[in-house]
Formats: sequence, structure tokens, C-alpha cells
Amino acid sequence: MSNLKAHSIARKSLIRTFLFTVVMLILGSRFDAYNQAQLALVLILFIGVLSVTILTGISGQLSLGQGALMAVGGYSTALMMINYKLSLWIAIPLSIISAGIAGLLLGVAAARLSGPYLAGTTLVIALAIPTLANRFMSVFKGDEGLPVDVGYPPAWFSNTFGEPSYEKWQIYVALPFAAIALFFASNILLSRSGRMWRAIRDNELAASLNGVNYSRQKIYVFIVSATFAGLSGALYGLRGLVGPSVYPVSLSLTLLTAAVLGGIRSISGAFIGTVIVVYLPDWIEKALGNFSLSEQVSNFLPALISSLLLILVVVINPAGVAGTRLHKHK
Amino acid sequence: MNTFLAALFSGTSRGAIFALVALGLVIVWRGAGIVNFAQMGQAMFSTYIASTLITNGNSYWVGFFVALFAGAAMGALLDILVMRPLSNKKKTELLSSDSMRAAVPVIASLGILGALQALAGILWAAEERGFPAPAKQEGFTFGSNVMPFTAFDLFVISLVALTLVITTLFFKKTGIGLAMRATALNQEVAKLSGIRTNRTRTLSWAISGAASSLAGLLITPTSNLSPNTLDLVLIVGFTAAVVGGLDSPAGAVLGGFILGMVISFVTFYDTPEDVFLSILAVLLLVLLIRPRGILGSKDVRRV
Repeated sequence: MSNLKAHSIARKSLIRTFLFTVVMLILGSRFDAYNQAQLALVLILFIGVLSVTILTGISGQLSLGQGALMAVGGYSTALMMINYKLSLWIAIPLSIISAGIAGLLLGVAAARLSGPYLAGTTLVIALAIPTLANRFMSVFKGDEGLPVDVGYPPAWFSNTFGEPSYEKWQIYVALPFAAIALFFASNILLSRSGRMWRAIRDNELAASLNGVNYSRQKIYVFIVSATFAGLSGALYGLRGLVGPSVYPVSLSLTLLTAAVLGGIRSISGAFIGTVIVVYLPDWIEKALGNFSLSEQVSNFLPALISSLLLILVVVINPAGVAGTRLHKHK
Repeated sequence: MNTFLAALFSGTSRGAIFALVALGLVIVWRGAGIVNFAQMGQAMFSTYIASTLITNGNSYWVGFFVALFAGAAMGALLDILVMRPLSNKKKTELLSSDSMRAAVPVIASLGILGALQALAGILWAAEERGFPAPAKQEGFTFGSNVMPFTAFDLFVISLVALTLVITTLFFKKTGIGLAMRATALNQEVAKLSGIRTNRTRTLSWAISGAASSLAGLLITPTSNLSPNTLDLVLIVGFTAAVVGGLDSPAGAVLGGFILGMVISFVTFYDTPEDVFLSILAVLLLVLLIRPRGILGSKDVRRV
């Protein structure tokens, strides 16, 4: 019986992932170079936003340190690619493991904390981790960072599918990982772990009375969320540079904003939120193109509007854009 | 010996400011059960207001008092516009769980922080600017020796001490202060005894806003002013509040001075680059050994 259920969950997730991949491939082939790069960014950040959805939306643990976990993924990948000349297809999976270990450490500390304590502690971590880059200058190269990129496709790929542009290759690199992340996220949400994590979120005491070892499950959810964040950070660094300036605290806040705007409890919400966050500057520019705004205004306007949207969504409908339906059913 | 004295003095002066920041966080936590991550964003904003007034030819003190008032007004406004509607929405599905009830106000305060920083960027540019000090920032001379202690440090410490005395008297000796303490202790019971808890909540936001604006005015002469400069101060203030006990005003002051000393000694004897790691170490140490903080009461988890 339970096997049958697991089977149908996997099939559901597989169909979802397949549709997602096809749509993204079609969009990628239709878009111009600029929008291809934007689409690649959406795919990359989507994985990071999923890490927030799992951690905060599903299990109720608010972490502001996802950017630091992204940095762990990014630095691991960059160091392996530069020092050991590994291909990104090997370096990225390995760096997911190192991010998972970082998530384990974070989870062990976080399992004892809740609410604002957890948020504040992870915020301090998000600030402290990037300073390691200057502390261990010889390895991490300080503020200068480590230059890495997705490089060029292997010969067999170009021979079979034709030479892709750099932007298109970015999509081809990010898409398999985003699809795998989507598959796992949607599996987890429907599975036994997902139910346990939701139980912890709703009531720790009731969950533990029903046999959920909540401190252990909290550590698990931190590890899983960290692997997502690490993967996202690895791909994010491959856009050109891995350095402290690439993974600022505001990156953690961007992920949180995206997750909340779209709907913090659902995967489709995570995707909608990511699209909003990535495209908001473009939309604003298009909408206000006729007014000649000074650079000072146009630089900060996207941040202002996304922050105001965040406050509005939280105050008016904390379930987010994709959460409206869920919200009414209750 | 000289380095030791310098570190000690600098730690005292910084510690006083961190104590103020931590006190602001503790007042809102006690009054509303929220850690206000936007606090230093509010302080940054009111310091910019003061800076604009002063550069337009007004005296330092006009800017000073307008900033304090603006900080208080902003705090009250944020409570009325954002936090109060949020706390009235407890029946929605997302807010039905304990953990999300704690998380959502934090998210809202981060949204406020982002909005204030972006707005400050639009209004006053992103470049750092200086902020004047009302007293000399050169060390006192003692014979031919320059002491590592300035008139501005003395100003900071005495002003913070004055603020602490005033707030303590306010909470202990006035009727409103008593009402606020009652609300912090038990909101339901306070409501039943006729206290308008909505008003006391707003008042704690206002007091906290004024206190953190004062912190902003006192720290920017040594750190310069930009939309993001005070982020780090918030982190230190939060750590100080947790170290001392998030629900204890006296603990906040103690935590502030501890953090001031730690940061100062790390800066003088080690490198400034290790400051964040040392803050993190102090925070984790306290959370693992004594999660309620040095002077915090037993019931840390406020649901």
C-alpha cells in the first residue's frame, strides 16, 4: 500500500518536472539573448527559493542565512574547478554535499532555537561567513574572489545540437539541476518527511506526541534545505565570479522576498516569486520608461517596490500569490 | 598598557551605544513580542533627516531633537500600519501555527528595513556621508600624552546613562510604564484590567524608535552614514540583547557593554576582520550554554 503511494507520488512529481523542463526549453529557444540570461537566473534562484519554501514554508523555520549556504556551494564549486580542474558536472554535485554538511552544522545549532532567535542567529551567520574570505586570503582570495563560469559546451554537444550561445548554454547548465531540484522538492512535499515537517511547523508538541522526533527532523530539514541553497549558490557563482560581494546578506533577503511574494507554501509559488523578483527591475523600467528618472531613483526603485510588495503581501494575504486558493479553502 | 586602556575606553563608548540599540529591541520584544529587524533602518532614516537639517544650516540640536521625534513617530506609525493589522489576522491559515506567528512579523520587519533603505537611497543617494559630532573627537591631552578618550565619548556615555535612568524611572514610577510592564507580562490579563494594550504596544514602538534614533545619532559620527551602515549595529545590538536576555532591559545594557568590550578588544589585539566571527562565537556560546541570556527570565519561548 505504502509502496503504491510512493509510486504515485513519484509519478506526479515526474510529470510536473517533465512539463516544467519542456516549457523552459521552449521559452529558452524563443527568447533573445538578454531574456535567456534572465531565464537562466530565474532557474538558478528558483532552486534557492525552493530552499526557503522547504525550510520556512513547510517546516516553519525562518532562516536568514540561506545566502551563506549559497556561498558554501559557490566557493566549493569554484575551488574544485580552479584547483583540481574538475568539470562543473562533477564539482557541483560534490559542492552540494559540502553545503549539506554546512546545513548539518547549522541545523544542530538551530534545532534548539525558534522564531526570532533563529532568524537573528542565522542573520549573524550570513554576515560572518563571507568575512572568512578575507580571513583565509590564500584560499578564498579575499574581496577579489574566484572567477569561474560555465565555460563552453563539450564537443559532442555542439556536434549533436549545434553550437549554443553563451546565454543558451547557461540555461542548458541550469535547467537539469533546476529540474532535479523541482522533482525532489515536489516529492518531499508529498512524502512522509513533508508531512512530519508540516506537523513540526503547526505544533511541535503535538508532533512529538505523535512520534515525530522534532529536533532530529529539524536537523534533516536544514540539511535538505542547505543542499538546495548550495546548488543554487554553485550555479549563481558560475555566472562569472564567486566572492563575498556575490553572496551578500541581501541575497538571503531576496530569496525570502521571492518565496513570500509567490506563496511560501507552494512550489509554484516559489517559481512565481522568483520570476517577480528577477523581472521586477525590467517591468519598472518599461512602465516608467517615459519618465526620465535619475540613476539614483532607478537604482533603488526595484528594491523599494519589492519591499513594499513584501509588506503588503504579508499584511493583506500572508499566503502569497499562489496561496490564495489554499487560503480560501480553509 | 596603553593599548589596554584604549581598548577599554573605546569598548565603554561603543558598548553604551550597543546597550541603547539592545534596549530598543528589548522594549519592542517585551511590548509586542516581536524582534524588530527594521530598528536600525528607522534609526538610519531619522539620522538622514537630522543630517539634511544640519547641512541646510540648522543647528546640531535642531537636527538632534527632530531626529528623535521622527524616530518615535516612525516607530508608532509602523506599529499602526503594519504590525497591528498583522496581529489582528491571527485567524488566517498561514498564521495558524506557532512557528509562523513568530516568523511572519520578522518577515514584515525585514520588508520595512528594505523599504526604508531603498527610500533613503532614492532620497539621499547611496554615497557615504559624514555626520557631525557635537563634541571634539580628539583625545583629551594629559600633559604631553594624548588619552584614548574624547569629549565625544564622554558625551555619548553621559547621554546614554541619562537615557537609561529616564527609561528606568518611566517604567518603574509612572502609570503608563506600569501599564506597559503589565502588558508585557500578560496581555490578556492587562486587557481585562482595563489597559488599552493596543496603545501600550504602539508606545513601546515609539520609545524604541526614539532610543534607536539616538543610537544612530551617536554612532554615525564615527562610522559615517549610508543606507546600509547601521545593519551591522543591528546585528551587534541583537546579539547584545540575546546575551543579556531578550526580555530584560538591564540585561540589554549589560549585553551591550559586553559586546562593546569584545569588539573593541578584538579590534585592538587581533584584526577588525575577526569582529563578526567573534560576535558569532559569543552568540552561539550564550545560546548553547544559557539560551535565555544572562539576566533573562526562564520563559524564553514566547508563543
